[in-house]
Amino acid sequence: MKYSYITPRRKSVLTKEIQLLLTFFTITILMLFVTYFFLLIKDYTYVDDMNDIAISRSDLEKDIQTMKAQITFIEKENLIAQKIYTKNIVLKDSITNLFDLVPQRITLSEAKLLENGLILYGITPNKDIYNFMLQAPLRSIFHRTYSSFYPAQNGWLRFVSTNYIDEELSLSGEVYNED
Amino acid sequence: MKINISRQYIYLLAILLLLLVFVLLFSFTVLIPKGKEYREDRIEYKKASREFRRYQNFHSEVQEKLKGIQAENRHIITAFDATFNKERFEKQHRDYFSSLTLSRLSNTALEDEFISYEVNTTSEISSPKSFYDFLDAVNKSDWIIAVEFPINFKRDGEMIKSSFTMKVYAVHKESNATKRVVE
Repeated sequence: MKYSYITPRRKSVLTKEIQLLLTFFTITILMLFVTYFFLLIKDYTYVDDMNDIAISRSDLEKDIQTMKAQITFIEKENLIAQKIYTKNIVLKDSITNLFDLVPQRITLSEAKLLENGLILYGITPNKDIYNFMLQAPLRSIFHRTYSSFYPAQNGWLRFVSTNYIDEELSLSGEVYNED
Repeated sequence: MKINISRQYIYLLAILLLLLVFVLLFSFTVLIPKGKEYREDRIEYKKASREFRRYQNFHSEVQEKLKGIQAENRHIITAFDATFNKERFEKQHRDYFSSLTLSRLSNTALEDEFISYEVNTTSEISSPKSFYDFLDAVNKSDWIIAVEFPINFKRDGEMIKSSFTMKVYAVHKESNATKRVVE
């Protein structure tokens, strides 16, 4: 027996409203998850990059320390070398001055340049020439001057002049220990 | 008054609420804290990379300075690194002397990163000028050499016999500070 003249419409759990709702939320949740994974990946990349930066920075620091040590060492080398070069130049000037100091009439046979003194051996026509032309300038340079004479075969006088500087700062000084 | 809501709409409302709660919970408990963390990490990363770039610039500056100082002092560096060679020295400075004899003294002094050893020199020169030229040449030689006192000059006929000590300075190869790594 029929109660209705129309055919019944088929009923489904997924009605149009539910389909719409599910589509909307599926898209929403999908977007949320995509955003979450994007953040996860980016976060991981940043942490990883920061670790790389920390390692590179540590390497750079070591490199900088090494280079700074090298710069300091080269500066030290340069300082020592310059002191040695200066000392050699001063030595040259001292020897030049010494030979310029000796007058034409006096002939030197030996000269000993010491750290704090000078010993000269030579021959002079007479004591006066020695005293005025050699001893006087030597006295102005050295603190203590001693002279001794003995006669030579040709009637001239052989002399030994010993001169000392009392000061600690003598002609040379130890180059390296001056630091 | 009776509100007539179909069961279907009640279900619909329930699903809606459930999903909404899930979305809100997920957003507030997971997504927003992660976003904050991301933002902090990004700021920190930018700060670190800015600082790293500054450090790289500083590294380049120091490297430039080192290269400059190395170029300026190339002769001194090479001279300190060179091992003293008696034959080579005699060959280089023979012109200043009529005869030149070197004998290396046994004592070797170690001073920090440097070693120094003494060389005894006996020679014959025709005039003091040769000795002055020698002193000038010593400063340009392949080694760092200091001419030391005492210096003796003795007349021998037309020639002058001279004897003196030279101190040769060199880098102590095993010292840590002397290791030249960069380039």
